[in-house]
Order: sequence, then structure tokens, then C-alpha cells
Amino acid sequence: MVVPQIFNTVEQSAFSTWIRESPSLFAFYFILLFHTIGLSFVVGANTVVDLRLLGVATALPLKPLKRLFAIMWTGLAINVVTGVLLLIAYPTKAMTNPVFYFKLLFITIAVITMRKMNILFDDASLSDTALIAKGKSLAVMSLTFWIAAVSAGRLLSETYRFLNYHQYLIKTGLS
Amino acid sequence: MEVNLAHLHLLLNHFPIIGTFIALGLFLASFVGENEDLRRASFIIFAAVGFLTIGTFLTGFGAQAMLTGKPGVSDALIARHEGSAMLTVWFVELTAALAVIGLWQYHRNSRPAHWTLSAVLFASLLTMALVARTGNTGGEINHPEIRATQDTSQDVTPDAVPAEGPIGSIIRVFEPTPEKFSTGIVSNKWLWAFLMAMHFIGLAVIVGTVGILDLRMLGFLKQLPLAPLHRFMPWAMAGLGINIVTGFLAFIGQPENYIYSGALWLKMLALMLLGLNAAAFYLTGVFNRVQPLQAGEDAPMSAKLIAVSSLFLWFAMITFGRYIQLLSNTVRLPGVTSN
Repeated sequence: MVVPQIFNTVEQSAFSTWIRESPSLFAFYFILLFHTIGLSFVVGANTVVDLRLLGVATALPLKPLKRLFAIMWTGLAINVVTGVLLLIAYPTKAMTNPVFYFKLLFITIAVITMRKMNILFDDASLSDTALIAKGKSLAVMSLTFWIAAVSAGRLLSETYRFLNYHQYLIKTGLS
Repeated sequence: MEVNLAHLHLLLNHFPIIGTFIALGLFLASFVGENEDLRRASFIIFAAVGFLTIGTFLTGFGAQAMLTGKPGVSDALIARHEGSAMLTVWFVELTAALAVIGLWQYHRNSRPAHWTLSAVLFASLLTMALVARTGNTGGEINHPEIRATQDTSQDVTPDAVPAEGPIGSIIRVFEPTPEKFSTGIVSNKWLWAFLMAMHFIGLAVIVGTVGILDLRMLGFLKQLPLAPLHRFMPWAMAGLGINIVTGFLAFIGQPENYIYSGALWLKMLALMLLGLNAAAFYLTGVFNRVQPLQAGEDAPMSAKLIAVSSLFLWFAMITFGRYIQLLSNTVRLPGVTSN
């Protein structure tokens, strides 16, 4: 595996260095915190809708739950932004880790499922029973792939091979 | 006088012992004349004990850091108490969980199921015995006058093997060896990642289910009637249960990582405040006032205050949790040269 030099360039940049090494409360851990908060919005709100589709709290009317999708998309936006910032801080660590690509794959599938579910809820002509019938399998997909994405995310810190470009050079004997 | 972790441990250890005793007493008394008030009260106390025992367990590691290696203190006695605590804590939490299930059954069916009563009886009796053992072994660390052998010269050597009574020898078989337990958790990176993944999934479930109920009480999503939203609470409790278990295991795995972090103790403080918030919601009648709210109806101010506290404290939990690592050297224990 050849790691592109651009990772080194990014890691050496002032911004990337600041994120990683600044003792400020608003650097790395702040970004990580908002990544977690974004996760709790997306997965949390999506879980409530999924559980409702799967039969929990049947007295809860379905249509108003449409409003929860705004929370989910907000959470996703927060995580895309914070995710990019985390990547800027540790490009080599993430991009040389196969688990990272699994995480992105699981997120993609979960987001596609979320979009399909959103379309169902937006369809005013659908009755509640029809909505549930069509939404059940999406709910199962959603729960499965968000759980997979979160798990993959947590695995990242245990499975990375190179913390940074410098480590890559040393460990592959190229230095 | 500064309050340190040893103080807190000695303060908090009263709750699992005396609390379990009182709750068990009330629970047994409730069978006389099928007194549902006593039974509900006992369930509430079992649940409260489960909550407070989190603090007892965690501060124990701080007390250990302060005592270990000091003259006249046997590391073997500390390890015995620690092993006992590492067995007991699961049963305290199990009893609390069963009691919460019982309280849920009171809410949904006006009475707990028979299996729940049997389970609480069995679990609480076991917990009483284990908690007494933990308390006793803890006392023996620094109170030579209560030890089985009065031969103090043997006890001061760090690797002295403590004498066991008849009950102690039986319970001893089930007590984990602290060193092995800790090493077992951190040595396998897949286990560690699994624990952390479950912790995050738990938090997502909690934020989603509790969050939507809080938002409704604050006046958002008013097209929803309130009572069905509360039906998600068992899922929130399951998430909380997962997080307490994974939290304990993480702590046992690497206590030094946590006891010196100010963020960890602030997180536990937030958790205790959440317990108080829940008590305020359920025990003062606010819950009964919001239950019947239909679509479009506004919740009373008391409910809104509880809801905003809940949201604030759950996000405080996440924040403190994420900052544990960064603030990992902010607590200094007197007499300990920490990492």
C-alpha cells in the first residue's frame, strides 16, 4: 500500500496541527464531542421512528413523526462537518484503516435507507397501515446499519495501523 | 478539610448496605396483607440504591489508590474487598433493574407480575448477603479489631492471606480476582471496542427516546399525544442499563484512566442529578399530570423545567464523557503520586 504524500502535507498544515495538538478545550475533543452529539441526533431520532414502525407505542400517530427527520438530517450535517475536520487532523490514521471504509459504507447504506423512509413519510397519500407495511423492512435496515456504523466508528481507535504519515514511513521501513 | 475520594467512598458505602436492608424489610413486610404501598416503596428504594451504588463502586478505586502501600495496610485485604465488590455490584444493579421493571408493571398493569416478585425476592436476598460480605471485608482493611484472627503481626505483611469464615469461604469462590478481571478487559481490543460501541448505542437510544419526550413536554411536536411517547421509556432504561454495565466494565478495565479525570466525576454528578430529576418527575405527580395530554395540549411549567433539566444533563453526560481523556490528570488525591 502506498500512502499519498498529500496526507503528509495535510498533517503538517497549521490547521491540522492545531486540531491535534492544541491544549484548547475547543480543539480535537470539541470536534469529537459534536461528532458524538450528531450521532445521538441521527441514530436517536431514527431509532424512535424505527421502533414505532416495528410496533412500539402503536398509539403514537405516524404522520407527525415526519418532523423527526429534520433532526436526523441536522445530525448528519454536523457529522459530515466534524467528520471532515477529524479527517484533516488524522488523514493517514483513517485512510489506511480498512475499518474506516466499512464505516463509510455502513453510513451510506443507512443514509439511503433514511432518505427512503423520509420519502415514505412525506407521501401524504399513504395510509398509516400502508406506511408501516412499506416502512418495516426499512426500519430493520436502518437499525442494523446504524448499529454497524457506530460499532465500526468505535473500532477505529483500536484497529488503526499508522497514527500519522511519519509512523507509516517508520513502520514500513521507508524512512 | 478537603473532601477526597476516600471520604466519598466511606459516605456512599452506607447506601448499598443500609438501603438494601431497609428496602428488603419493606418488601418482605409488603407480603403481610398484600400491601402494595410498601411494595412500591421498596421498589423505589431498590432503584435508588442501584443508582447510588454506582458512586460507591467508583469511589472505591480512589480510596484504594490512597490506601495501597501505606504502612499497616494489607494489599491482600484490599484485593479481597475489591473482588467482593466486583461480584456484589452486579447483583445490586440486577435488583434495581428488577425493581424498575416492577415499577413499570405498576404503571401499566396496576400490579407487578408474579415472576417479578419472585425475582426481586431472590435477587434482593442474595444482594443482602453479598453487600454484607463486601461491607465486612471493607471494614477489615483498616479495622483490625473486627478481623477473624486477632494476630495483627500476620496482617501487616502485604501478601498476608486473610482468614475466612464459613459463609465467606463459599462466597469467595465466586469473587473475581481484581487484577485478572482488569487485565481481561483491556487485553482484548475487540472486547474493548465492543464495550465502547454498546456504550454509544446506549447513549443514542437514550437521547432519542428521552429526548423526544422532553421535547414534547417543552411544547415541540405538539401533534403528538404524550402518553404513547412514554411507552419508549423501557427502551431508554435498557439503554441506561447497557451504559451502566459497560461503564462499570470500562472502569474496572483501567481505573487509573478514570479516577484522576475531573470529567469522569462531573459525569457521575450529572448522572446523580438525572436520578433526582427522574424522582422529581415520577414521585411528585408531574408525570400523572402530563400523561393524559392530547395533541395540541401544553404541559405545565413543572414538566417543562424537568424536561429542560433532563436534556441539559444528558448532553452534559455526553460532553463530560468525551472530555474524560483530555482532563485525565485533573484530580489529585492526597498522599498519592499519580500518573
